Amino acid sequence: MNQVKEFHVALFTSVSYALRAEKILKKAGIPCRLIPVPRHISSDCGVCLRFSPDYRKQIVDTLAGKVDVSDIRPL
Amino acid sequence: MVRIIDAKGLACPVPVILTKKALEQQDDVTVIVDDDVAVGNIKRLGAKLGRAINIEMKEGGVFHIHLSRITEAGKEPVAEKDTNALDYESCGPGPLIVVISSDRMGRGDDELGYVLIRSFIHTLLTLNPLPDTIIFYNTGVKLAVRDSEVLDDLKQLEEAGTSILVCGTCTNYFGISDTLDVGCISNMYDITSIMAGAGRLITP
Repeated sequence: MNQVKEFHVALFTSVSYALRAEKILKKAGIPCRLIPVPRHISSDCGVCLRFSPDYRKQIVDTLAGKVDVSDIRPL
Repeated sequence: MVRIIDAKGLACPVPVILTKKALEQQDDVTVIVDDDVAVGNIKRLGAKLGRAINIEMKEGGVFHIHLSRITEAGKEPVAEKDTNALDYESCGPGPLIVVISSDRMGRGDDELGYVLIRSFIHTLLTLNPLPDTIIFYNTGVKLAVRDSEVLDDLKQLEEAGTSILVCGTCTNYFGISDTLDVGCISNMYDITSIMAGAGRLITP
């Protein structure tokens, strides 16, 4: 089922950034999930946030100035 | 020859285990059960093993579930092929059992442990083949209740045929039995015997 839905992932340079971002987004009521970084995408830390592309702008805006997102990629 | 298993009055997961054993020896099996949960679980087992499933509802809440091998070439359902699938070589016969004994993975830092256990459960979905059974006990049961962040993953695993057993003593201890949202409540007899019968047993 994971495969049929389209998702994007936000990558971070450290686990603590990913965790901070998750907390901020959860608080803001934006759905996202912490998942291991897919093997075809590399990143310095092993976890990333997965979300529906619909929330991309909201996520970027919400995290702006709070947590550095190193990259956003389609899954 | 159709093998008939009368599993009336038996609690989950016993009917599933009996069905699985019978299907290992026989192509066509009919299971008689009187428990809705068992119907769902046997249906999933049938789907996982690529059997055609036909369910007849009889009087008194009794169900006859017919499972038969699909013979037409190309009809056999194949697990969804995914480029991210984590293929592995099974190193021996017997089921792959995953035991989740805590809602953290590893010891030391709780916040990190919680990140790791969520990642681990998510990654289980990419294992090919999937685990046969996942057993939850102690604080691990907190991952199988309503509002758990891994509920989606566990439901997907269950739909794909993994049987999920949750320690009833534990959900009772934490007062969360009513909020169980995936798998079925199990007891120490089943948990011990399934662990004893494991081909491989993973405890993250």
